[in-house]
Amino acid sequence: MAALQTSAPPASPGQERRVIVRRKRTVAQRFRSDWPLLLMTLPAMAQLAVFFYWPSAWNIIAFMDYSPHRAFWDNPLVGFAWFERLFANPYFTPALLNTLKYSFANLLFLFPLSIILALVMHSVVSTKVRSVFQSIVYLPYFFSWVLVVTVFVQTLGSDGLVSNWLLGLGGDRLSFTSNPDTFLFLAWLQWAWKDAGWGMIIFLAALASINPSLYEAAAVDGASRWRRMWHITLPGIRPVIVLLLILHIGGILTVGFEQYQLQRDAIGYQTTEVLDTFIYYRSVIGTEGPSFGTAAGLFKGVIGLILVLVANNVAHRLGEQGIYQKS
Amino acid sequence: MATPSDGSIFRRRSLFKAAGLGIAGAAGLPVIAACSDIETGSGSSQETSGFDFLPEYKEWPLPVEPDLIGEPPNHPSGFTTYPEPVPAIENVPSNSGTFEITVPMWGEAPSPSEPYFAAITEACGGTQVNLRQADGMTYAETSVQWLNANEFGDGIMFFSWMTGSNPNFQETVVNTFYDLTDIVKGDISERWPLLAGLPTASWGQSVWSTDPKDPDSARVFGIPGSFSGGPGNAVFARTDLLEADGLAMPTTVEELLEVARAWSDDAGGRWAFGGLDYLTPSWFGLASADGWAYIDGKLVHNCERPEYTEWLEFRRTVWDEKLVHPDIPSGTLDGQALHKAGTILFQLDGISWWQGFVDQAAAEGLTGSIAPLGALSAKGREPLVYVNQSVDSWTFLRKDLSKEQVEEFLDFCNFASAPFGTTEYELLNYGVEGTDFNYGPDGVPVYTASGAKVVQAPVNHKTISGHVQQFITGTPDMVQARFEYNAALKDFAEVNIFEGMRVEGPADFKSAAQVLNDQQNDIAYGRAELSTIPDMVQTFLDNGGEAAREHYTAAYDKLHG
Repeated sequence: MAALQTSAPPASPGQERRVIVRRKRTVAQRFRSDWPLLLMTLPAMAQLAVFFYWPSAWNIIAFMDYSPHRAFWDNPLVGFAWFERLFANPYFTPALLNTLKYSFANLLFLFPLSIILALVMHSVVSTKVRSVFQSIVYLPYFFSWVLVVTVFVQTLGSDGLVSNWLLGLGGDRLSFTSNPDTFLFLAWLQWAWKDAGWGMIIFLAALASINPSLYEAAAVDGASRWRRMWHITLPGIRPVIVLLLILHIGGILTVGFEQYQLQRDAIGYQTTEVLDTFIYYRSVIGTEGPSFGTAAGLFKGVIGLILVLVANNVAHRLGEQGIYQKS
Repeated sequence: MATPSDGSIFRRRSLFKAAGLGIAGAAGLPVIAACSDIETGSGSSQETSGFDFLPEYKEWPLPVEPDLIGEPPNHPSGFTTYPEPVPAIENVPSNSGTFEITVPMWGEAPSPSEPYFAAITEACGGTQVNLRQADGMTYAETSVQWLNANEFGDGIMFFSWMTGSNPNFQETVVNTFYDLTDIVKGDISERWPLLAGLPTASWGQSVWSTDPKDPDSARVFGIPGSFSGGPGNAVFARTDLLEADGLAMPTTVEELLEVARAWSDDAGGRWAFGGLDYLTPSWFGLASADGWAYIDGKLVHNCERPEYTEWLEFRRTVWDEKLVHPDIPSGTLDGQALHKAGTILFQLDGISWWQGFVDQAAAEGLTGSIAPLGALSAKGREPLVYVNQSVDSWTFLRKDLSKEQVEEFLDFCNFASAPFGTTEYELLNYGVEGTDFNYGPDGVPVYTASGAKVVQAPVNHKTISGHVQQFITGTPDMVQARFEYNAALKDFAEVNIFEGMRVEGPADFKSAAQVLNDQQNDIAYGRAELSTIPDMVQTFLDNGGEAAREHYTAAYDKLHG
């Protein structure tokens, strides 16, 4: 076996081993070496600056009596007056409670449905059946809420397909699409039809990353299908479940807009008013002005940030990665 | 996930620091400054008469007098014959400017390449006015954002009922639109004789104060639309369907309910009513507009009156007894289509639906006839009829136009103000002969299919500015019927307690009123009980209603002393 050749001079006996301390590079040095990389990030930086950071800076108007007709610096600061007005608004708390209700319902009833669909899909061996099933479940995700609501009204509405069929049989009309008492179930049906497929795709991607040899080894050891799912599949997708859960908790005050806005007239505002529609009707097209809406938006953002950090912290304590690596 | 390096900012502590700094920064900024109270949206009141800077009124002599003489404004005169039109403008100006004006549109917007638009440009002297047509259903609300962003072309048109959607319309007007005062004050009859012939009251209603607290800062900002007067809306009955079932036209609310019960058949797919919201309060004596009435020495809001409960009981009754279309709460039903199809018996609509039904039925080969219900009331009370109480609309121009551009646009407005009996009016209202209309056997223009689609749109160039006088026109039968209808209703016309003043309510009041409206619908459509009325009224009063009473009372006292 040939000796390993090296160009390094042999260490002379008695010579102390020198420790090489590499000096930290200055910013200028790093810039000289990294400028092509920085240049490549410029478009993304510009996009973030224009469409995210600049609009975010305008959150300051939540603390101003802002009017678009005045020069920016002429708008008087009013401290937390808009927040006081927001929290004192008698329609804010019901909107907040509705938001939390729909958000938790979505978490409880839709999140597991996506996981179940993904597991069912994963267990289907036939590629053809899998492809057809995937298309059917996934396609509604691309439908707009206008279409989804229209389909439900045309099918289950008071003058819809089912109602007229029931009338023909001597029955009564359905009031399903205009009944506030059953709206949560209606909303769940709409989520399930429209969004469950999208969640399923994400979990399917996670399932694909599980090493198949684990299943083979477990099968050889005599593990049942249920055991394989419990001990291999679910632990395999646990990081993704936790990640999505944290993101969902962060967005708990954002349950969507169109679904509730489109059904507001039919169901009534007391049931369909969520924070986003509250902001829209009071501020965007309402008479409370832009500062009020910005205060409400900022409230949502701050609560969302706190929830993400808390949920992530809990995930770390439970030994999960969360959305970023624990340092 | 890769482990971030020590220098990565994407670490827990870094994130906490960034979040903490952000929150501290956001919270700290206002704290370090002296803070004042919110003053935005506190409401305003604007006097609309007694100015010395308005255009001097010079009567514009009509080329032909109406044959039905009414008592304007609530009982306009009418023409039962179509006169030979004569030109209103002798010296047509020579212009070449182009303007983009934002206007509301209900229905399908016609193509700008239609001959109608080219003919108008040629006839008015070369000024090209392109319309930016936006959905009329959402126009009032969404226009607030266009105005904030200064994105409405060279001008924008508003109906007077739309301005309440703006948190502070007075502030918007004086900061966004062109101050016309120096151009239109005094004698303008030489260049714009038709604008000089507009009623002084119309110009007075086009005034806003740059400083709401200083009456001397009042200026002219709007170009007024027509002052129509009379009822603008009505509930129309399918008289042929009533006759077929041997039912008489109802004359009281009680009779209306009986007819509705007799005619409706939920299982059979026919219902007496479509929408019943914005006009039916008048049947119970409730006030229009912002809902204030002067009773026993103080201003009282509709919701505080016992008649309010009666009105909601009526609406709830028709819902519970399935006399109203079950999908009406969705707000997406095409009421006119249902009325034409005979699915609903009564249609609440603008007064133009009277003629619209006739035209559309003829074009589509349908049979049937409609007529508006008269002045209804419940429990034998004196009827109350809502009437138009101000100019129908304004056109505002953006403030950075040049004086020459504004003058050219006023040339166009002068053209658009030509009254019935002129060639200008004929072109604007009926279009191009042979393309948009043909003369019928009685000499009255009859729209072609193209004209019905392009020219008969409710808003276009013909509504950019008001006519010097407003008449009832159309087919002889329709003119006669409308003339008699107005004559029958005029004695019950609601008196405007704020005549001579435009009062804009505080933002809180507008917001509370919107919620009250939502709650009314909850009761009307069975989603809330009538027993909740006292609570919702109290909530309304606590959240803007009571404060608004002071605001409106101050305005009332200023007017009446």
